[in-house]
Amino acid sequence: MANVSVAAEWQLLYNRYYRKPELYPMRWKHVDLARHKVAAAPFGGPVAVIRDDSKIVQLHAESALRKLRLFNSAGHPLADAVWRHPGGRLIGMSWTDDLTLVCVVQDGTIYRYDLHAQLVEPNISMGKECFEQNVADCVFWGNGVVCITEQNQLFCIPDFRNPKPVPLADPMIEEPPRCIAVIEPQYTMSGNVEVLLGVADDPVVLVVEEDGVQRLGEGLLRGPLQKMVVSRDGKWLASFTHDGRLLVTTSDLTGIIIERECESSLPPEQIAWCGMDAVLLYWDDMLLMMGPDGDPVHYFYDEPIILIPECDGVRILSNTSMEFLQRVPDSTVSIFTIGSTSPAALLYDALDHFDRRSAKADENLRLIKPSLPEAVEACVDASGHEFDVSRQRTLLRAASYGQAFCSNFQRDRIQEMCKILRVLNAVRSPEIGIPLSIQQYKLLSPSVLIGRLINAHRHLLALRISEYLGMNQEVVIMHWACSKITASLSIPDATLLDILLDKLKLCKGISYAAVAAHADKNGRRKLAAMLVDHEPRSSKQVPLLLSIGEEDTALMKATESGDIDLVYLVLFHIWQKRQSLEFFGTIQARPLARDLFITYARCYKHEYLKDFFLSTGQLQDVAFLLWKESWEFVKNPMASKGSPLHGPRIKLIEKAQSLFAETKEHVFESKAAEEHAKLLRIQHELEVTTKQAIFVDSSISDTIRTCIVLGNHRAAMRVKTEFKVSEKRWYWLKVFALATIKDWVALEKFSKEKRPPIGYRPFVEACIEADEKAEAIKYIPKLADPRERAESYARIGLVKEAADAASQAKDGELLGRLKLTFAQNAAASSIFDTLRDRLSFPGAS
Amino acid sequence: MVELLLQFRGKIATAKLLILREQSQKELINILKNIRGKKCLVIDPKLGDSLSLIIQTSLLKEHGVELRHLSADHIQTDCTKVVYLVQSQPNLMRHICSNIHHDESKGLQREYHVYFVPRRTVVCEKVLEEEKLHNMVTIGEYPLYIVPMDEDVLSFELDLAYKECQVDGDTSSLWHIAKAIHKLEFSFGVIPNLRAKGKASVRVADILNRMQAEEPVNSSDMVMPEINTLILLDREVDMVTPLCSQLTYEGLLDEFLNIKNGSVELDASIMGLQQEGKKTKVPLNSTDKLFKEIRDLNFEVVVQILRQKATSMKQDYTEMTTTSQSVSELKDFVKKLNSLPEITRHINLAQHLTTFTSKPSFLGQLDMEHTIVESQSYDICFDYIEELIHKQEPLTTVLRLLILFSVTNSGLPKKHFDYLRRELLHSYGFEHITTLNNLEKAGLFKKQESRSNWLTIKRALQLVVEDTDTANPNDISYVFSGYAPFSIRLIQHAIRSGWRPVEEILKLLPGPHLETKRGAFSNSPSFDSLSGVSTGIAKVPDGRRALVLVVFVGGVTFAEISALRFLCSQEGMAYDLIIATTKIVNGQTLVETFMEKLGG
Repeated sequence: MANVSVAAEWQLLYNRYYRKPELYPMRWKHVDLARHKVAAAPFGGPVAVIRDDSKIVQLHAESALRKLRLFNSAGHPLADAVWRHPGGRLIGMSWTDDLTLVCVVQDGTIYRYDLHAQLVEPNISMGKECFEQNVADCVFWGNGVVCITEQNQLFCIPDFRNPKPVPLADPMIEEPPRCIAVIEPQYTMSGNVEVLLGVADDPVVLVVEEDGVQRLGEGLLRGPLQKMVVSRDGKWLASFTHDGRLLVTTSDLTGIIIERECESSLPPEQIAWCGMDAVLLYWDDMLLMMGPDGDPVHYFYDEPIILIPECDGVRILSNTSMEFLQRVPDSTVSIFTIGSTSPAALLYDALDHFDRRSAKADENLRLIKPSLPEAVEACVDASGHEFDVSRQRTLLRAASYGQAFCSNFQRDRIQEMCKILRVLNAVRSPEIGIPLSIQQYKLLSPSVLIGRLINAHRHLLALRISEYLGMNQEVVIMHWACSKITASLSIPDATLLDILLDKLKLCKGISYAAVAAHADKNGRRKLAAMLVDHEPRSSKQVPLLLSIGEEDTALMKATESGDIDLVYLVLFHIWQKRQSLEFFGTIQARPLARDLFITYARCYKHEYLKDFFLSTGQLQDVAFLLWKESWEFVKNPMASKGSPLHGPRIKLIEKAQSLFAETKEHVFESKAAEEHAKLLRIQHELEVTTKQAIFVDSSISDTIRTCIVLGNHRAAMRVKTEFKVSEKRWYWLKVFALATIKDWVALEKFSKEKRPPIGYRPFVEACIEADEKAEAIKYIPKLADPRERAESYARIGLVKEAADAASQAKDGELLGRLKLTFAQNAAASSIFDTLRDRLSFPGAS
Repeated sequence: MVELLLQFRGKIATAKLLILREQSQKELINILKNIRGKKCLVIDPKLGDSLSLIIQTSLLKEHGVELRHLSADHIQTDCTKVVYLVQSQPNLMRHICSNIHHDESKGLQREYHVYFVPRRTVVCEKVLEEEKLHNMVTIGEYPLYIVPMDEDVLSFELDLAYKECQVDGDTSSLWHIAKAIHKLEFSFGVIPNLRAKGKASVRVADILNRMQAEEPVNSSDMVMPEINTLILLDREVDMVTPLCSQLTYEGLLDEFLNIKNGSVELDASIMGLQQEGKKTKVPLNSTDKLFKEIRDLNFEVVVQILRQKATSMKQDYTEMTTTSQSVSELKDFVKKLNSLPEITRHINLAQHLTTFTSKPSFLGQLDMEHTIVESQSYDICFDYIEELIHKQEPLTTVLRLLILFSVTNSGLPKKHFDYLRRELLHSYGFEHITTLNNLEKAGLFKKQESRSNWLTIKRALQLVVEDTDTANPNDISYVFSGYAPFSIRLIQHAIRSGWRPVEEILKLLPGPHLETKRGAFSNSPSFDSLSGVSTGIAKVPDGRRALVLVVFVGGVTFAEISALRFLCSQEGMAYDLIIATTKIVNGQTLVETFMEKLGG
């Protein structure tokens, strides 16, 4: 059977199978891991290699300069950089979660490199103490590091995104610890990192935190620990004891889970968890895999190796190859175990028969009919775990073959798996060199994978993958555009713009402004201006235009957008930046900006506004401002009425008047200002003569009324003539003023002075309003219009007279209206009815 | 059945509008929740009024809020956290600054949050910056762009929009309107048809399209947008209607009692309550069934209906006391009794209104309005207005007629213009020069420069309708007892057949007009306007009536809203209408926005 060869490569540990396929032969040349310090990132990440300066090594045909070299997992070179940093020996280096290489040197300085071996500024310092005491060792985790100094003080950086060193509590030990391990902050109770120290000659583990040290494992341990490693989830601690045992305990050292003798009492060079159920120990040429029970598995290596723990196994890097040691997934076991009769194995076998046109295929299918869905599922699942493309294909074919006979299987399951595998196979190709297993891929998430590809400048692949998976391509294109700009110093602006636009248009809603900002940061202001022009969102475009000094365009765009807030933003910016006159010139040409400036300045920058109007020759507006100011004197509490402050106030108004007079169009305003000044003078005089502060700031009409009410008819007359008040208005004013003081005698006398120019209506109205019927009756008959007479009678309740007058007017509508007014009064209402009936005969019109 | 469907349709639309209210409420509560502990919420009074339509004070208190109104006076509270919720107007910043400076001088240490409604602005932050308080306050936004006033009326609460646009050239309100509509589109879908008339409206349409381009509403998954058409109309196009006295019930209530946020405040005694001298608030909205029934009717008719209701109630009551009744009859009676408080309330209000409507001055004013609208006796109108000035009648009353007069004549001859201006300054004081200046800038009271085309418009659109039956109206002219509101006539055309048939008229009016298709529909070959039921485009697939959103840029009156509701109720009408406005106005409030004393 075809399956035999597959299972033959497996090793049995306790009751589980393990396999160790080769992922890549290493493409690098002349790399001897024994002579180098190596840092390899999990999730199939890159490998950093630098000559180990703590070892004495023989230089062959190479430069004495140390070089930091970066490779992908297939040993394909990515970048290199000469290492010339001061600060002493390189103590440790590691990749952070976002694939920055952090290198800690003796004096506590941390140098950071990106994937392209570019130094990331600024360097981080572990602090003064580290500098003085020297860093002796360090331990990394995802995004942080703990350093221990030669005086056994601990310092940590909990998060490289916010690189601030934090001192930990003093463990109070004399000798350097035998071994160190950390429990990541996300798995500790306190949320801060916990450092485990295996101390010489003391059968305990010290747990050091920011605010204290605990001793764990007292009574549990029989001697000091030599080597420790914490499991991925922070729950278990695997350690190697002084007497050559492997000890697996809970990470708080309260219980022993496994205790096994190893064949050596020398501590292993490396120790690592393989998934969650086996521990790897590495000595010189032997790799030992220990499970919870049963015989350990031995692997022999004649070259040095590096263990790279992953979530579902361990990658083993040697000078020549990259292998992946993993527990064989259950689905794979069920298909390929020798002699397996599981439905999945039979299905896989059926396909083989089918391909060979053997009738046994049908027999197999019949045999597993009821459990066909599980069989299909197992094949699909197993295909996902394969690194070998042809085997993936065979498994998927088996699944698809089985699916044809099975009605209730989720159809998109196979399609989904194909999609994932296509992505995985694409990134596993040696050029890309990211050997993700399906489990790692799911844990890492597609978007992070795309992020890593972008960082590695694999934009095309990232774009294809995100398109294939239906994800937003904006991130990819944006990053590409920015990298392109950085990398294209020699390409002229216009050409580069075309190249960029060609790609940017692939993605709707992409922020051109962000790309433009990047161009500006790279010193390509002109390109930035060209790019920002393509930004549809004014709120993004305008601020950028300002930052690259394109104020006029910014003002234009802001105005177009209709967003007043943006216009103000530009306005204030220009205002601050430019000389007054230049500023005035700019905004004068733009009506919206000008109007907004005026509105704002009217409230907050009065004087400045005056300058503006003067500079643009809008004298009438200056005049209005001055006129307005003249009232400020009134509001000012110091300016009590009748005080000498009157002088300056009138002067301001007169100044306004002369400014109005400068232009033909403002004759009216000029005249009004002149009259206003005159009025204030007269009112001032009146206040002095009457000793009553009641005139200033009342209107001309009110002044006349006040004079009459005070009985000062001469003054009233004077105001009338001074301001050429018309007879019509004069009559209304005087009649109402007299009625106010109920001087009915004077009123009558006034009515007889001469025939009133507007008739007797004012007299009637004044009397009715004052509720003086008797007085009103004197004037009603004198009204010329019978309709007015009728209404006036009606208003004082004289029904009969009203009706008579209305019938004189021959107005049926009026009669009807009057009737409504008297609706409550039945007698009155009948009067109107008879009158209207009478009217309807002759007055048919 | 159709009726039922229509009602159902209406409910869905209103339900959506209610969601707007809930959303706004939730957003506000979230803001408050995010500021832990007890806090003092300081609201600017104007905003407070609008907020009362969104959230109850009691609900605020539940979230540990002490409520204060913003003023220049410092705030007295024990809370260490002060949350200002203010409209983004620079003058309000001054108050906040003086508040904080006062606290500083007293050595009080407080945590300040300023939430801007609807968004933070550069100008406001500039004020804070100049007072060096920028770093002391945490700034946030409360994006309240729309306040639902009633189940079919939305307001942007931009009181000064019209004046700011026309006089100051400040068009911030237009952006606000566009933003508000754009926000609506996120829940209703892109509105496929757009019609706009007037400079401001066309600009709003332009900004709206820009926003759609910048931040598209994803319309692909919406088969049929719920709002079929957006009609935008500038107040400037029709300044005649708002200046005429409204004669519908709700309109008159607003004219005389000033409806504020769906309620009026008046003396308790008027409502038959015993508390002497106390004020009482009477809510006026569609939850009051009787009010819903009568609000849009001509006031004359309302009086009759109320009388009938009262009489029949009385009859029922006497029958009830004299004869023995079956249980079901009793039930009916009790049901009717339940409506008694509503009937009493509106009888009280109506009675109060008649004290105003029967005044000769009001009747005179009505007369004059009609004469001006008829536009036939220039001299009579001129003399009347002159006399009002001489009698020093309230300035708003005078200006209201004067503007109506000027607008229908497209300005006054220079001699008259100067004369009336002089008489106004003489009678009311020189400080009103600014008011006159504002009105001139807005083109509301100006020198005549061309012949007026009001007569042509009036005739072509049949604005003056003889023999209007106010009790059984068949035309919108019932709302002004014979004058059909010009604005609504235009909208009537816009809904029925688009702008094309009235193009000639539109050309006579200020500002451009626009008719376009938007969103995914912009490429659709049938560029035809919505032509009513016959073609059936108007129907959303499940047979509900589609919505038309009518937006008034610069304000709308209750009478106009009534006229629109009337149109909606007509047979053959294919749409339900939602009305949005910068503010609900009347002649008086509209004129007041332009009034500005020099010294003020």
